[in-house]
Amino acid sequence: MKHSSPAKLDSSRATLSSLSASLLPALRRTCAVIGIAALSAGAAVAANAPAAADNSAPAAKFVPKDGKIGYVMTDLYWAIYQTPDAKSECPKGFNDGPREQYAVLFPGSKKRTVVDTQLKLETETWLPTPDADSFPFHEATGAYSYGLNLDGKVGPHDFTSPDGEKGIDNQLYRALGCIIGFRGPDGVEYIFENKAISSNRYNRTMIEITGVNDLSNDNDVQVTIYRGLDRLLTDATGNKVVAGGSQRIDARWGRSLIQQIPGKIVDGVLTTQPSKQMVIPWMNLGVPTFQLIRDMRFQLKLTPTGAEGLIAGYADVDTWYKQLIRNDSTHHLSNGQISGISLYKALRRLADAHADPKTGANTAISSALNAKFTQVYINPLDDAVKAQVLKAAKSRQIAATQSASDSKGAAAR
Amino acid sequence: MHSSDSNKRDNGQRALVIFNVIAAAALFSGVAAAAQPGSPPAAPAVEAYVAVPMPPGFQVEVSPLEGPVFADAKGHTLYSWPLKRLRNGYSGESKGKPGCYDEVRTETAGLMSPYPPGVLLPELDKRPSCTALWPPVLAAADAQPVGKWTILDRKDGTKQWAYDEQALYTSVVDREPGDAIGGTTRKNDGDSPAIRVPVGPPSKVPPGFTVKTTTVGRILATDKTYSVYAYDKDTADKSMCDDVCARTWVPLLAPQTAQAQGEWSMIERAAGVKQWAYRHQPLYTYALDPRPLSVEGSDVAGWHNVYTQRTPSPPKSFTAQDTLVGQVLADSHGMTIYTYLCGDDSVDQLSCETPNDTQAYRLAICGGGDAEKCQQNWPYVRAEKGEQGSGRAWSVIQIDPKTGHLAAAGQADALSVWAYRDRPVYTYALDKQPGDVNGAGTGEWRGQRNGLKAFWLRDDDFGGTL
Repeated sequence: MKHSSPAKLDSSRATLSSLSASLLPALRRTCAVIGIAALSAGAAVAANAPAAADNSAPAAKFVPKDGKIGYVMTDLYWAIYQTPDAKSECPKGFNDGPREQYAVLFPGSKKRTVVDTQLKLETETWLPTPDADSFPFHEATGAYSYGLNLDGKVGPHDFTSPDGEKGIDNQLYRALGCIIGFRGPDGVEYIFENKAISSNRYNRTMIEITGVNDLSNDNDVQVTIYRGLDRLLTDATGNKVVAGGSQRIDARWGRSLIQQIPGKIVDGVLTTQPSKQMVIPWMNLGVPTFQLIRDMRFQLKLTPTGAEGLIAGYADVDTWYKQLIRNDSTHHLSNGQISGISLYKALRRLADAHADPKTGANTAISSALNAKFTQVYINPLDDAVKAQVLKAAKSRQIAATQSASDSKGAAAR
Repeated sequence: MHSSDSNKRDNGQRALVIFNVIAAAALFSGVAAAAQPGSPPAAPAVEAYVAVPMPPGFQVEVSPLEGPVFADAKGHTLYSWPLKRLRNGYSGESKGKPGCYDEVRTETAGLMSPYPPGVLLPELDKRPSCTALWPPVLAAADAQPVGKWTILDRKDGTKQWAYDEQALYTSVVDREPGDAIGGTTRKNDGDSPAIRVPVGPPSKVPPGFTVKTTTVGRILATDKTYSVYAYDKDTADKSMCDDVCARTWVPLLAPQTAQAQGEWSMIERAAGVKQWAYRHQPLYTYALDPRPLSVEGSDVAGWHNVYTQRTPSPPKSFTAQDTLVGQVLADSHGMTIYTYLCGDDSVDQLSCETPNDTQAYRLAICGGGDAEKCQQNWPYVRAEKGEQGSGRAWSVIQIDPKTGHLAAAGQADALSVWAYRDRPVYTYALDKQPGDVNGAGTGEWRGQRNGLKAFWLRDDDFGGTL
């Protein structure tokens, strides 16, 4: 089956007749592989909504109480544009993982030592280099990808979004697109990194939008990022997160995560200005790791019960890699045919921003995350405390700006 | 009287207190034994235990880290090796079946994927047998079982003592009475090696309570493993937590038939309603604790967890630092302290984490086999001149920087480094500021089998398994 072109995807428009045409492009951008498959099959979008909420309802005029509405993250996974048979984006097939590479490197029954085999590979995993890979690495090809135009330009390596927007920056997709562990619906990272978002409190990212006069259109809102302290409210099955829960703010361990970003809502889609950086606490198997996204911005379709869309920006390469391998051992990576050694080289090769002041090598890679949120009531911080926390957040952003300008200067040199 | 209003959590405002050395001191020296008003300062408390019948020649020592443990006549702690399910099979010992013998294993067992079995283990010329590290506790030919102490037949024809049917061993790395350098009862992650565990008599607690080993002490908990708390405003015979307060701080009630014994007593909350007290402190649980062994209630002013005994204090120059998930132990500059954990993939699951063991695993992870790179990436925490340890938990040892092994006596280039349980501790070069834990989980199996973990004093999300 050929890959679904934008025109093909448009054939699903009839099934979305309840949505305004102006919302459709943004909505389609938010759909990951399951969404695409379902759209192609003519299924209703609602079937692919997060376990959280019915986001298919149109964002009718809605003024939240006191002009503010909170959302808690329930789903998060790297945006991978997939066609059903992968022939379009991965014409050479999928990449090998540690098991396959071990078999190639150490064939037969010859006696070998732990030092020369296992420890050699673990060394390369934990002390990775950007040197040439001894194995072929299949980057995702094709013209299409989810993501946002991060630099405002249309470059030769940029993608086109499924709804036709050009200039999409998502080089991370090139690195991950042909690794089965990151592909839905059953890739090991696709499943378990996402599952941890709702199941572990450490990952409890929340946003609160304030100054909202109309959830469909408002040119001036503030988006504050917090971490929550409480379990998610679910239905009786325990699996479906439902709107209307409440969360306390983690202002102790999670204090450094708090920041505020200006944004606007157009036709029910929130778009924020870029934040210099966002730390997303994201552990998977028990190691307190995070992702560091530079020039991060949200693009989320809002409803009174949920939000869904993209978190996009430049992922710090070393942080990205360590977040993966610190949580997932070589065993886990093997289950997703993820060679950390080869992937790191690809990340460094494809990195496209934030040059290191000393070496000139890019340290960050354009990326996009599919994110889903459910409405939640956020217990407010005391005003004085909030002011103090936001002041500290602003200082961190200024420091990050300084660091970024240093990098740009180095890159120019 | 405790106000229910002040009892409410305050969305973290209280959490804005900056934690520093004072916090570290509080974590380690918090009130383990609350003296009655007017009484002289108490000696550091140790955990009481149930006196169980023992065969001649055995005794109980109270380990500073592990609480009461059985010991042989020389005071050496006794260990068992419980069966553990690993990724590709089991290791450890079934009840009644000793599995540690004087045989040198030469190949991997393939118990942890993806690496196959049958690969040659490191440094075979120096590799010890299982019993060279874990001497079995042998029983005399005429020895008789006593209580839970039984006698097992070993395949080499000797007899071995067992407790609760688990064969008993000593550890060659234990030197002094109360040492538990060889193993620990601390909770560990599912993918850690099949480790050896100190064996001891039951803690002297009433039904409904248990005691768990943590990095800061032996914490008192309910039998559901929820932490127990005491309230500073209570007295030995009266709770100051009223009915409204008690909705959040749930009194631990004693049955009508309960009897005071040793450090345990009861107060009468109301007519006919008895509440347990330990060392003169009425006991509670915290309704908002989100999971077993959470200590989040201790953030509320006036409330603290209860320990049967505290661990020895870390070096005075060390600090405690806030991170994204809790507090870590840090050096004098605030940089996170890490410990190295390692168990090999042999049937014997031998340790590779002390300076006496092969360094092949550690050097591979920290520096690709290069000791110098290891010191750049994971510097030893150096002891300043004149600094001394506080017993066997924290000590200063001499390391040969070229090998990672213990230095020879008088070795000129030896490094004086801090060690926890005889294992050197490290900082991580990629931690840039206090509170960074960028090295946590480095190495195989999230740092559990050949890698490094941060020294957590408190974690609020991972149940003490970090």
